[in-house]
Amino acid sequence: MMDDQIKAVAGAPISDPGGPRGPKPRRALSRRNIILYGTLFVAAVYYLLPLYVMVVTSLKGMPEIRLGHIFAPPMEITFEPWVKAWGKACTGLNCDGLSRGFWNSVRITIPSVLLSIAVASVNGYALANWRFKGAEIFFTILIVGAFIPYQVMLYPIVIILREIGIYGTLTGLVLVHCIFGMPILTLLFRNYFASLPDELFRAARVDGAGFWGIYLRIMLPMSLPIFVVAVIIQTTGIWNDFLFGVVYTRPDTYPMTVQLNNIVNAVQGVKEYNVNMAATLITGLVPLIVYFVSGKLFVRGIAAGAVKG
Amino acid sequence: MTSEVSAKTSVSVQDLSLNFGMVSVLKSLNLDIAEGEFVVLLGPSGCGKSTLLNCIAGLLDISDGRIFIKGRNVTWEEPANRGIGMVFQSYALYPQMTVEKNLSFGLRVAGVPKDEIARRIARAAEILQIEPLLQRKPAALSGGQRQRVAIGRALVRDVDVFLFDEPLSNLDAKLRSELRVEIKLLHRRLKNTMIYVTHDQIEAMTLADRIAVMRGGEIQQFDAPSAIYNRPVNRFVAGFLGSPGMNFLEGRIENDQGGWRFAVDGISIPLATYAFERQPEPGPATFGVRPEHVALNSGEDWPFSMTATVEVVEPMGSDTLVWLLVAGQKFSVRVSAERAPAAGDTVSIGFDPMRASLFDGKTDRRI
Repeated sequence: MMDDQIKAVAGAPISDPGGPRGPKPRRALSRRNIILYGTLFVAAVYYLLPLYVMVVTSLKGMPEIRLGHIFAPPMEITFEPWVKAWGKACTGLNCDGLSRGFWNSVRITIPSVLLSIAVASVNGYALANWRFKGAEIFFTILIVGAFIPYQVMLYPIVIILREIGIYGTLTGLVLVHCIFGMPILTLLFRNYFASLPDELFRAARVDGAGFWGIYLRIMLPMSLPIFVVAVIIQTTGIWNDFLFGVVYTRPDTYPMTVQLNNIVNAVQGVKEYNVNMAATLITGLVPLIVYFVSGKLFVRGIAAGAVKG
Repeated sequence: MTSEVSAKTSVSVQDLSLNFGMVSVLKSLNLDIAEGEFVVLLGPSGCGKSTLLNCIAGLLDISDGRIFIKGRNVTWEEPANRGIGMVFQSYALYPQMTVEKNLSFGLRVAGVPKDEIARRIARAAEILQIEPLLQRKPAALSGGQRQRVAIGRALVRDVDVFLFDEPLSNLDAKLRSELRVEIKLLHRRLKNTMIYVTHDQIEAMTLADRIAVMRGGEIQQFDAPSAIYNRPVNRFVAGFLGSPGMNFLEGRIENDQGGWRFAVDGISIPLATYAFERQPEPGPATFGVRPEHVALNSGEDWPFSMTATVEVVEPMGSDTLVWLLVAGQKFSVRVSAERAPAAGDTVSIGFDPMRASLFDGKTDRRI
């Protein structure tokens, strides 16, 4: 400061009065940064610590776990608990681990996701663009459906599925997932399609495209982002579902979550914490992968579908 | 009601009504547009002009009435089967398709043979000078280029009637005036019937063969631009066209020994030269005169002249707007920039009531 003033007095041109110029210097260790990164760090640790405990425990043998140092890294890394959780752990009479539940969950999730999204996207498109008679009432009913607690409908649906003759089958569970996903997905798609410029739809009609022509050739190609969002919501939701799985299936068609519960909550025998941890991690792996993979796709989808102009 | 439509009529709208629930958006409209005519639907926002266009296009279901295009009753036809092409305000280009695919979409839907599609696209691209853009996506085009492609999409469909829904509103002022000229040239070249919706009176005045001025779902006046500008049928039309707007003086029509006069606040304007539309009666009335029809310090002898004090001077480049107080009411005069007085000056103004408009004080209709 002093230097500047002296220079200005001594002979700098009058046009340069000195003083601050250019970007304001920022200190790396300002109070703002400390609070900001400190909070982020604490929040990250809070969420990651349980995961850390699970991973290290799943890699330890039972003698080491009995020592009680739950935060200590494993002295001797073993993958035995993972192998056991996947293929040998017992639930009731079956002793083939989580693998059976995994494939059940795959067989439940894939058709449920595809079917519910296919139907809901057409629903949303029809509601947003084709203002048919009774559309408002239909939409209201659908939205109300989203707020009805599942518990109310559990037993009636059991009866309905029994009467149709698909109670306890994977088909029945797929159907249930589709129905319960419908309100929120339809709302999602309706709002997305409603946000697309209406003139596009009208231009397509002047061009002679019909209901399906506009849906398939105009709307679908512009909707990648919302489809990715719907896939994330449905895949994770259906994979993580426990209630419908336990109510609408039988032991040989139990989804993974139900089987995990049966492994972890088994009352007889020794509690094998390492196997339980490994089983839980394996079960949670699919939603995790979906998040990681589609998270990237999601961003790319938004960039690619930049609906401008 | 005539269901017979003359062969010269391209688009005919008969008793068209549209209600959204209890709200009446269009009220029993009638409109006959001749073959090859350029008609502009002009009005403030919410007047129903775009709605009318969408009804003609078949994008809105009407409540009553009939629509004929080329003598064919298309009231129940799908938009694609009406023989129309439409250009939208937001261009409405399909973002995932190239320009070429955008142009050909309608033809592909209709199952037109490939070589025919190629021929029509080549012709449209040549007319609109968009050949270098054919393989680009809409996102890689400027606003003016996008609007050209949008016009091209209507062009390739080989239709009789072009519908434009505020096509230039999203462009900046310079581009707008360029494309305005291009649309006019396009009309001269193609000789199609064109219906053009806008709220911009300059576009309306420059493009139209006839203008339909709309308000509240009704057509106020449907006439040539000069007739609408010079002989507006009511006060709304008079006030809507012209920028700056027409000067209005609220006063009375009186009949004394010298004939009909318009009196306001001590001023008396003789109406001897005014061409009455209908028999005048003494009573409240509005006298309207456009700023460019008033002479300032001209030194000539006008049927009516008076002196006034300049309140504000607004230079607008090519000319200058001088604001005065006449009979206690704001009054503007347009003069060339070099003859502009200064604020506070006392000036003389004069005009011929022949070029003015008189409106009934109650009905606002032209007298």
